Amino acid sequence: MTVAADVSLQALLEELALVAAYAAAAGLSLDTASLGENSLRFSMTFPNREGDLFNAEFECTDFPLHPPTVEFVSADRTQRGTLNLYPQGFHPTPCVCMRYNRKAYGERGGPHGDWRLLDWRLPTGNGVAIDTLALIVSDLDSKIRQSSGRMG
Amino acid sequence: MGPPTVRLRIQTPRGLWSMDQPPNAQKRPKYAISTKVEQVIADARSVFGFVEEDSKYTLLRGGEVLEPQRTLASYHIEDDTLLVLSVQGGNA
Repeated sequence: MTVAADVSLQALLEELALVAAYAAAAGLSLDTASLGENSLRFSMTFPNREGDLFNAEFECTDFPLHPPTVEFVSADRTQRGTLNLYPQGFHPTPCVCMRYNRKAYGERGGPHGDWRLLDWRLPTGNGVAIDTLALIVSDLDSKIRQSSGRMG
Repeated sequence: MGPPTVRLRIQTPRGLWSMDQPPNAQKRPKYAISTKVEQVIADARSVFGFVEEDSKYTLLRGGEVLEPQRTLASYHIEDDTLLVLSVQGGNA
């Protein structure tokens, strides 16, 4: 661990206030029940175009120095990272292939060996820099709302 | 007496835009009901500095996507309605 857990937790709590406001307005479900220094994670539920629900977990060790690990999980949290838990439209590994997802980096087994974790706030292409939790949630929400079906 | 207007609240990933938030905003979300959705998107972007063109910006009411070319009146949007500016970054 690079960032002390209490520092990460404080940063998360500061950003989650805006995430909560955004989620409430957008009709998304935010679950912070397990969030604490020993569990730097929260989860959200996103609907796709057909109203099917997808559960995403954000594991935030070393946040904000490093980005969260974003992973789709089953509603009961017993399965994670399988194709049937992913909405259509993401990288087939499967992975949310964005700089804000630690899983996308080569050093974590992801497809991008050309990215550095410390640069996670850089924009992808010429788009908006997705550099806060609220922007991460908005980006995911936008992509999932446009998708239909599951990857597997 | 001018055309009918609505005062909106727009939640963005950078904060809420309303008649009093953020305090230093150069414009406020008060619109003639004949205003197109695309104008509201443009104004919300400018208030929060979303200048990048290579991104997708969408206005939502709950889970409903509002079409940019339609007017606020066509959605029967009323005073104090809460909308969402959804922002999608580029793709890797």
